[in-house]
Amino acid sequence: MQARISMSRILAVAGCCSAALLGSHFAAAKEKSQPAPQWALDAAKTPTPANVGDASAVILLDDYLITVDEQNHAVERERYAVRILKPQGREYSHCEAEYDNDEKLDYFHSWTIAADGHQLQAMDTDFADVEAYGYADLQATERFRILKPPGSDPGAVVTCETEVHLRPYMSSEDWQIQAPIPFVDEALELALPSGGHYADSWSHYAPIKPLETADNHLRWEITNVPALDLENLHATPPWEALAARMTVTWGDQAAKGADNQWRAIGLWMDQLEAHRPDPTPEINAEAQQLVAGAPDLYTKLSRITSYIQNNIRYFIIVKGIGGWQAHYAGDIYRNRYGDCKDKTTLLISMLQAIGVRAYYLHVNSERGVIDPSAPSLIGNHMITAIELPDGEKDPRLVARVKAANGKTLLIFDPTDEETPVGLIRGELQGAYSNLADGADSQVLKMPVLPPDSASLNRKGSFTLTADGTLSGDITDVFSGVDAARERGLLKEADTKELRDTLEHSLSSDLPSLDFKGYEFHKTDALDQPVTLDLHVSDSRYAHAAGPLLLLRPRIVGDDAEPVPEVMENKTRTYPIEIGRPGNHPGDWRDSFDITLPPGYVVDETPDPVDVDTDFASYHSSTTAKGNVLHYERDYLVRQVEIPAEKAADFRKLESAILFDEKGAAVLKKQ
Amino acid sequence: MSKSILLRGAALIFAALSPVVLCAQFQQPSEEELKMTSDPKAPGADAVYFEINEVADDPMHYQSTYARIKVLTEKGKERATVELPYLKGTYKVADIKGRTIHPDGTIIPLTVKPEDLMVAKTGERQIEKKVFSLPSVEVGSVLEYSYHIRYDDDEYSSPEWEIQRKYFVHKAHYQFTPFKSFAPEGTPDTATSRYLVDEYGRTVNSLIWWNRLPPGVKMQTSVNGSYSVDVTDIPAIPDEEYMPPIESVLYRLFFYYKAASDPGKFWPAEGKLWSKDVDKFAEPSKKIHDAVGGLTAPTDSDLDKAKKLYDAVEALDNTDYSRKKSESEMKELKIKEAKHAEDTWAQKSGSSEDIAMLYLAMLRAAGLTAYAVKVVDRDRGLFDPQYLRLHQLDSTLVILSTGGKQILLDPGEKMCPFQTASWRHSDAGGLGQGADGVSFSITPMLQYKDNVTQRLGDVYLDAHGEVTGHINIVMTGQRALHWRQRALEEDDAELKKQFDREELERIVPTGVEAHVDHFLSMNDPYTNLMAVVNLKGTLGTATPKRLILPGFFFETSSHVPFVNEEKRLEPVDMHYGERVSDDVTYHLPDGTTTEGVPQDANIGWPAHALLVTKSVTRPGQIEIGQTLSVAFTFAKPDEYQDLRGFYQKVAAADQEQLVLTLAPSAQAGPVGVAH
Repeated sequence: MQARISMSRILAVAGCCSAALLGSHFAAAKEKSQPAPQWALDAAKTPTPANVGDASAVILLDDYLITVDEQNHAVERERYAVRILKPQGREYSHCEAEYDNDEKLDYFHSWTIAADGHQLQAMDTDFADVEAYGYADLQATERFRILKPPGSDPGAVVTCETEVHLRPYMSSEDWQIQAPIPFVDEALELALPSGGHYADSWSHYAPIKPLETADNHLRWEITNVPALDLENLHATPPWEALAARMTVTWGDQAAKGADNQWRAIGLWMDQLEAHRPDPTPEINAEAQQLVAGAPDLYTKLSRITSYIQNNIRYFIIVKGIGGWQAHYAGDIYRNRYGDCKDKTTLLISMLQAIGVRAYYLHVNSERGVIDPSAPSLIGNHMITAIELPDGEKDPRLVARVKAANGKTLLIFDPTDEETPVGLIRGELQGAYSNLADGADSQVLKMPVLPPDSASLNRKGSFTLTADGTLSGDITDVFSGVDAARERGLLKEADTKELRDTLEHSLSSDLPSLDFKGYEFHKTDALDQPVTLDLHVSDSRYAHAAGPLLLLRPRIVGDDAEPVPEVMENKTRTYPIEIGRPGNHPGDWRDSFDITLPPGYVVDETPDPVDVDTDFASYHSSTTAKGNVLHYERDYLVRQVEIPAEKAADFRKLESAILFDEKGAAVLKKQ
Repeated sequence: MSKSILLRGAALIFAALSPVVLCAQFQQPSEEELKMTSDPKAPGADAVYFEINEVADDPMHYQSTYARIKVLTEKGKERATVELPYLKGTYKVADIKGRTIHPDGTIIPLTVKPEDLMVAKTGERQIEKKVFSLPSVEVGSVLEYSYHIRYDDDEYSSPEWEIQRKYFVHKAHYQFTPFKSFAPEGTPDTATSRYLVDEYGRTVNSLIWWNRLPPGVKMQTSVNGSYSVDVTDIPAIPDEEYMPPIESVLYRLFFYYKAASDPGKFWPAEGKLWSKDVDKFAEPSKKIHDAVGGLTAPTDSDLDKAKKLYDAVEALDNTDYSRKKSESEMKELKIKEAKHAEDTWAQKSGSSEDIAMLYLAMLRAAGLTAYAVKVVDRDRGLFDPQYLRLHQLDSTLVILSTGGKQILLDPGEKMCPFQTASWRHSDAGGLGQGADGVSFSITPMLQYKDNVTQRLGDVYLDAHGEVTGHINIVMTGQRALHWRQRALEEDDAELKKQFDREELERIVPTGVEAHVDHFLSMNDPYTNLMAVVNLKGTLGTATPKRLILPGFFFETSSHVPFVNEEKRLEPVDMHYGERVSDDVTYHLPDGTTTEGVPQDANIGWPAHALLVTKSVTRPGQIEIGQTLSVAFTFAKPDEYQDLRGFYQKVAAADQEQLVLTLAPSAQAGPVGVAH
């Protein structure tokens, strides 16, 4: 017997394991090939509809059967058939099944039926199991079994059948009715135990009645659902916020009516997290120490939220129900790390210690995914709703909303380490959430903040020489939500990345940039502005043309957010997201003074621009006084998105901004 | 001595030693380390390693790692989470210890049990990982952890030391104790028996190491039979644009067991075996002869034969560009892995490697003199003869020897024209067969004149700067090859979108929409590839009296490399030289007069690069041309300032403006806002 020479570097093995393993074949196929089942053969006969357009694949069948037992435990079987139409359509044939320690995968079979009818059954070596997330700060026991089907060439139909025991503590499923490619036939069948009941809710799809195929067997069938393809559209809401889906719920949570369903979900969350936030003596002591001497509620909240933001690092290993249930506050406090539920739990705990009530608020990290008319657990993030006392009017506590029961709630995300209490970042503004407040649990719309919740005041002072060189200093003062973004940039980037980012941004306006340096000024207090000083020079900023010198008075900065298809006057179907990077209201001002070279006078300046709409306004002007050319503008946004019907107004606004940003002044030598 | 005896001996040694002596001990940080808020040796770093200690002991089937890290920024906290992947069943990660030390000296030990998670599994092979996160980490904390890896008795392992890390390393110690038979010369009581064999059945008798170490650092040997390296002040992994492959610049030291010990003996022996394998695979069997007979005519010249055969193998299904059949699929279809060139020909399908070898077989069957050459893909690495591993070579090409010339052919590269090679295989080192046997070989460098892109456009302007028009982008050489290969993976509609996004958005001015209408000659590698592009939008700036346009239509708003990077540590690797030639005719609004046009220019970096610009004004038209020739592929760091100076001038020239005075009738009223 000979010894093996092992792989010499263990860490190197794992660095590329996921990709490498998918393509490796070191285990022989064990099973004997079986013929494709009748349902797969039938599905493969489905003709490709004429209206699939340039789809790369078409889903011929997607059929779910959810069988619920007396204990409300469910088993889900899925049958899926996809025809590959183009080489890039192969990705839709890579079926996958999610499983976990408490979500058992019973089986996963697949057959490929080639265009000529030849059948190929997937065998052991065509599957790989991979971890679900694999991020450094988000790890999980959850796994995916992924198929790389044999014979997956254009024309072939890949069919997959899986059966999974759903998590015993879950009693709802979201049925994704729409995909980036078209569906031909799809169905969901729910087999309930005797006396079982259900609730269904629909998002972006008109509700349909189920067929009762047998006692307590309900079947919803849908045909010919078009693709939702946003690939070439810009500034749309997220795909998940526009795609059709249905949520089916069984068991105790299957309440009738949207309000009752939201209440049932909130009660379930409350029950799941019961006693998790109970403060330990250490938490009590820490909270009391933090608020000692605080003059008002804002200061108390600010100190406690800052503590969580600064001291509780994001890290989680999700195990089974740990995807929904937080750790105990005492453990979180001791380890100083946790995920969004944990951070919310510790915050609720610390607030409880100082006599302030707070609640779990289930949200999605993308606006629009939670649909108030379609109760579900589709959210993917947990934040906090802090109950404000009656009469609390502190203007710094901006992100407040009135619940249906009359409580005033301040929305706060403790996982967001940069946004101070009182504000919320753009993605949350205007989005729906689910409040867990016992019998008062409800769906809640989070507020869109006023424009003064985010701002940038930029001032620049420059000197231009006759050879076209522009030199000067710029000071950016970021406030509110914009200051939070800058803090995030500072945290995420190292020194080189930061300089590169700034340099890249500046050089898009100053092509021959000589970046002389920058300084950030910030304090630990999140509610204070962040100031950025930039020192620049551009040896070819102004261009000589005979006796003329041409320059752009708008030295740096980019307010234009043109949406190509809207600018091309194409019909718009979906809302347009607005509000600079970060997608939020704000007020952004630039003011530049350029001292002209001796002997030159201003011959032409760009025309002023004034545009006002109900969602935004833009004003700019260029003036000459003595030997100084002065440019200023003010861009104010009031919304986070506008309906498609306002595309023409949006186009007008963006055209004006684009025109202004390119505007040139002409200097003439006297 | 048999393996079992050796292992028994190893087990006894292991039992006799306390683990305490095998791993570094946690240590009290100094006051200076605790209070440190930044590191002058690593300005701006998010974290730095104070110390790394890696010890590998193969007789004891054991490796230990110790690390001490200073967190300097919020981002540096990411070092607190440690993942330790391992092969399940063979390796075990054990004795994980860790602690966090706050700047005030408070120590918080790791008490949470590390989790064991699956990373990936296929068939019998499963990669797991141990994951732990050090507690209570804050900016300023010192993180400290250690762990052991143990592996099965029938496993041999040799370490690969990644000496250069993501963050600056103040001090690191690496140590490896191999089996005594592999110990350094002079080690007493060196055993000589073992039973390790390689894939050719040769007895593995040597421990070899390859290293790229910082200047002045050398590996040390000790009388107790171990090898060690001590380093200090190792900079973080470099990150510069247009760097050579990262694998070729990092400080590293790899150990491995082999059947030869020095380059003088290794490569001839390994090359001989490789060449034997090649000749066996590429044997011109009867079936190959028959195929060649059907593809060529006796009257064909050598070059004609070679081209006909080249086109025949190029036409086969190259699974590196389509889809490799899975094991189950091959079984079902009763296809066997190609063992000989005739198998590939029979299946009409194969990998790039298979197809290159088939071509070699066909050339030989045609009576031509042809050799295989195996090189390192230059996109991945550079050949290092001191690194005694054949596996570093990953691409097979063919040399045709005819008429006193050696012609390099790249049949495994789909859509690559005859007598052309991919840049990844140009100027690439490796092994080559030849009349005198196997020797080191380097493939020719591509000529920049063979990689040409021409962008020819007609742009029609109105008095408000609104434009329509079209451009034809004509590509030869590497850019054409790139897009032809992309076309193998996407359909036409998707390819157009990708061309719009990756090429056109980068080169057209802001405000102008450019979309490919169609491609010409996408499937014919012997013809220029052309993208026919339509233009629409707003160009430049309109003032009440003037229209100010970018002098050069293309790439005026794109990133010019090197301009903002003052210093350079690593060489520059442009991949290949090329020439990009633009010629755009602006068709002007009626009555327009010209106030300023871009100056004709001739900017050069002698023997390396040249930019030539020229404008011609005609009634109602201005034609502006620009040609950038980059005739170099590599530049050393000491050439960087010349290179940068050239690109700074290119960037400046790109900003030249074209100033037009509008006809008086067109000057009325403000423009733009009301559009």
